[in-house]
This record gives sequence, structure tokens and C-alpha cells, in this order.
Amino acid sequence: MGFILTVLAPISWVNGTLLKIGRGIGIVAIALMVIAILIQVVARYLFNNALPWPDEAARFCMLWMTGLMAPTAFRRGGFVALDLISGLLPRGVAALLSLFLLLISLAILIVALPIGYAEVTGFGGKFATASLYVPTFDGWFRVPRSWMMLSLLVGVVLLLMVNVELILRSLIDMLGGGDRLPDLDLGDMAAGRE
Amino acid sequence: MLIWFLPLFLLFLMIGLPVFFGLLAAPGLLLWLNGQEKDITLLYRNVYNGMDSFPLMAIPFFMLAGELMNKGGITIRLVQFSQALMGHLRGGLAQVNVLSSILFAGLSGSAVADTSALGSMLVPAMEKEGYTRRYAAAITAASSVIGPIIPPSGIMIIYAYVMGESVAALFLAGIVPGILVGVGLMVMIRVTADRYDLPAAHKVEFDGVALGSLERWVSFILVRLNIGLLLWVIVPLPDTTGIMTWATFIGAVLVAHALMLALRTQVSDEFRTICKRAIVPLQTPVLILGGILGGVFTPTEAAAVAVAYAIFVAFFVLRTMRLSDLPDILSRAGLTSAVVLLLVGAALAFKTVVSLSYAPQILAEFILTLSENPLVLLFLINLLLFIVGMFLDAGPAIIILGPILGPIFVDLGVDPIHFAIIMSVNLTVGLATPPMGLVLFVAAAVSREKVETIARAILPFLAIEVIVIFLITYVPALSMTIPRLTGFAN
Repeated sequence: MGFILTVLAPISWVNGTLLKIGRGIGIVAIALMVIAILIQVVARYLFNNALPWPDEAARFCMLWMTGLMAPTAFRRGGFVALDLISGLLPRGVAALLSLFLLLISLAILIVALPIGYAEVTGFGGKFATASLYVPTFDGWFRVPRSWMMLSLLVGVVLLLMVNVELILRSLIDMLGGGDRLPDLDLGDMAAGRE
Repeated sequence: MLIWFLPLFLLFLMIGLPVFFGLLAAPGLLLWLNGQEKDITLLYRNVYNGMDSFPLMAIPFFMLAGELMNKGGITIRLVQFSQALMGHLRGGLAQVNVLSSILFAGLSGSAVADTSALGSMLVPAMEKEGYTRRYAAAITAASSVIGPIIPPSGIMIIYAYVMGESVAALFLAGIVPGILVGVGLMVMIRVTADRYDLPAAHKVEFDGVALGSLERWVSFILVRLNIGLLLWVIVPLPDTTGIMTWATFIGAVLVAHALMLALRTQVSDEFRTICKRAIVPLQTPVLILGGILGGVFTPTEAAAVAVAYAIFVAFFVLRTMRLSDLPDILSRAGLTSAVVLLLVGAALAFKTVVSLSYAPQILAEFILTLSENPLVLLFLINLLLFIVGMFLDAGPAIIILGPILGPIFVDLGVDPIHFAIIMSVNLTVGLATPPMGLVLFVAAAVSREKVETIARAILPFLAIEVIVIFLITYVPALSMTIPRLTGFAN
């Protein structure tokens, strides 16, 4: 168990740090989404100008917000699941079931990783976005779609890292070291749900 | 073979796999076993394409607007307004609880937000007035399900997007059912007043209710603008253009002002202050629905405008929020919507496999062997939805069941908007049903009462909500009239 705890510590620190940065960017992204859509409304009604870019820019931000913030929700147990059966099982069996479920999600994320990479680097990613440009020293650079598609790939990578951390935590818990686990940065995941 | 993804998915769900992974694991595994590896790439692509959507952006925006309003201190204003209207009745605070939920529903699309915001304020107040804690918690939980039925509503945005329906039509269709649930609960409170020995009717006193100078002016202008606009729209005036249009509008606002002046002598100063304090928060649903109905905004734009309005109210009118509160609010809204967006993406991927597997057709054949009468089938489907709602949150349940059940009932002649409302109301009521009702747990946390105790106390209220579900099911006009009258449904 000592070995697993030793492996867990750096993973936990890296995940905690990355997800904190992710949340920070996600907060900025959600604020930018609101600003972009308000610019769209104001431009349409006050300046009689239907801007093409706010829609795409807001979607860009939303995708990155999702990719960067969903792993935090996963780490905090915010992914919706039924815990009926695990509540009825003896503690040891429930822990084993929880590990099994984490292995299933790990398998899904491992399958998703190369697909996501191929999508970002493949044919679809080479197209340019319809209306998003960033300024460079040589003029305006049209943002490729791969920059948007990267959001889900980054989300998969972060989910994978969180999944590995949760598996290690689950193993330690099964071996009776639950009280020695490093704290997770838990927040309130219930607010805002239906 | 592909049809087996449904039982496999249910198995994954039952053993506790998060819904997001279940939606991908079951079809993915069968596609792989079927030798259709290339279609697994399609699943991934559909998750991405499913999330890359403009209409879906309304979800984080409405969540954000609700959080901002909640933090901004509007709850107390809505509760006091409800008290001024209904607090003097027998079982006054119980009635106030329901009316506050109806009003709160116009600002937030979340039953959980409703339970925690109203519960933390009203449960202790009700206890102080002699209600039992379990009764107070039960009525809070039962009335909070109105939140996602009356627009704006998170689950309706999700359903509309996944099933390709109009968000505006669903929003409008939810108004009457939501109010009906509220009225049903109010009637139940009155009917059972003796049984629960509810406090007798008495006059409500408000101490130290004040109004800031900016808020006074904002509410003054908003009331006149709203009533004036309403008069201007409904009163048949000759067609005008240019300056004459403005002149008629200003005329309507002046008439509204005269009406207000006539009314002010009829009510006490205290009552007027309470009403004025509620006007600023209650402008939110007017802005959202008015904007969508008037064709001014799309639902997503209306949601963004609601956020801007909530920020304006919280920072400048009520001055109840500081800049340092914003990151926490944005983070909460972002985290919860990220989960929902991923789920919707996975649901779109799942829906593709649903179509590929001919599951709706096979299920439809099976369902038609039970009965060919749509009324009987609707009864059975309500039963199924109610049971599902007991175990699963409304959002994921609607994501999973919508693509499977929707096409079957539309083929049977049920209007898609009507079916969406049946599903939404039924699954939302499921949020307050034991054993897995989310709002029951929140009500228990807020009131410090046991979940089991609240679950027993809520039964009479659930009974009335079940009656409303059947009313909505068998009287389509209840949900369809407003969307039809406004041209949002056929």
C-alpha cells in the first residue's frame, strides 16, 4: 500500500494543479461566452449588424469550458450515477464494484484517446473555422477547427488522469488505507442540477 | 445484435457506472463485438458534435443567471412578496412556500436551487410558527419540482435539443402545467389544514422593509414600461409608423402610470414597498419569455441577457454582491453545466446507435402488443416514467428515454411537444419521490430532518402531483394551448 500511496501523491498533486488551472480558464471561458452573446445582441439591435463571429466564439469557449471543467466534476463525484446497489453491498464488495466501474470508464477513455488524437490531427481538423481569427504579427490568422476539437481531447486526457487517480485511491481504500488518502478538492456539485 | 445495447446499458446503469460512461460503453462494446470498429469513431465524433451547439449554450447561461439571482438576495424579496399576497390565509407560510416556488421557477430552472434557497429560509420560519419540521421540509421539496416545469427549464432545453424540438414551444407549454402543480399543492394544503393542525389565518406584519433609491426608480420605470407595453400590444390600435408608433407607445406608458396612481390609494404603503422590492427580480421571467415570444431573442440570447440583467441587479440595484463572489458563482455554474453538456453529447452519440439498432421500432412493436389504445399506453408510460424518476435524475432520464420513447408516441399521434411535457413533468416529480429523489436529500440537508420522515410526509403532496400528471397527459390542451395561441406549435 505504501508504494501505491507514493505513486498517488504526485498524480494527485498534478491533477489538483491542472484541474485548478482548468477551472480558472473555464471561469474565464463562461464569462467570455456571456460577453460574446451580448455583443451579438447589441450589434444586431443597436448597430443593425449581424456579426458572424460571436456565435462561433461562444461555442469555442463552451467546448473548452466543458473539456476543462468536467474532469473536476468527475474527481468530485459529480458525474450522475445510481448508487443503489453499492449501498446494499458489504463494504468490501462495494469497493471491488467501484474499482470495476472505474476500470470500465478507464477502458472507454483509453479507446477515446487515439480516436480523439486522430480527429484533431486528421482531415476534419484541417478545415478552418467559419469566422474566428486571431491577430498575429503577419496579420489575421484564421483559427483551424482542430483548436476547437482539441477541447474534447484535452478533456479525455484530464478525465483519464483523474480516472487513474481514482483507481489508485480505490485500491488504497480497499487495502484499508482510506484514512491515509490525500484530500480531494471537494466542492458542492449538487447546485444547479434539475 | 445491436438491440442488446439497451439491456447492457441498463445493467451498467444499475451497477452504478456513471450515466456518461454507460451511454458510451454499452453501444461501443456492441459495435466492437459486431465488428463495426469504425462506428466507434462515429460515437466519439457525435459526442463532440452534440456538444458543439448554440442552443445548448442556454444551459450554462440559465444556471449562471439562477446562481447570480440566488446569491444576489432576491429570495427574501420573493418570499416577502408571496407573504404579502397569501401569508394571511390559513396555513399561510405553507401557501407562501408554494407561491414562492412558482415565482422562483421563473428565475431558475432547477429544483435543487429552489429547495436550498427557499428551504433554508422558510423551513425555520415555518417551524417557528408551529408547523412540524417534516411538514415544512415536505412542502418545500414538493413545491420545488415546479422549478424545472415553469420556464426557464434546464431539462426542457436538453429535451428540445436532443429531440430537435423548439425550446420556446416547450417553455410555453410548461407554464400551465407548472402553475397547475402549484395550485394543486395549495388546494391540498387548504384541504388538509385541519388534519395537520395548521396555524390559523392572521395578519402578516413586516418590520423594517426598505427600498433603495435606485431600486425605487428602477421598479417605478419597469412597472410602467411592462404594463404600458402590454397595453400597447393587446389594445387594437391603428397601424402606425415612425414617430406615431413611439407616440402610441408613450401614450400606453402614460395610461399605465395613471393606472398605478389610481391603484396606490387602494393598498397600504407597506404592501406597495413589498411589491416594489419584488419587481426587479420578477422582471427576469418577463425579459426571458417576452424576449423569446416577441422574437427579439433566441432562447440562448435570452439566457445571456438574463445573466447580464442578474449582474446589473446584484451589483448595481441591490448591491448585494461583490466582485470577489463572481469566480465562485461562475465556477459552480461551469462545473454543473460541463457535466450536463458532456451528458448531452453522449446522449446524441447514444441516439445514433438507437436509430441504427431499430430499437424504437422493436420497442414500439412490443408496446403495441400490450395495447393499441394510446390512452392506455400513455398510462403505462407514465407508470414507467414515474418509476424511472424514483431512481434517476430528471436530466439524465430525459436524455436516455427521450430518443427511445419519443418517436414511438409521436407515431401513435401524440404531439411531440405534449409528449415532452408529459416526460418533463413526470420525471421532475420523480425528483421528490423516495428512494432516490434528489430534492428530498437537499430538503433533508436544509431542514436537518431525516429523509425517510420527509418521504412519508410528502406523500399527500405527491398524490396531487400524480393527479396533475394524469390531467396533463389526458388533457393536451393544458400544455398545448399557449404554444398554439402564440404560433409556436401546430
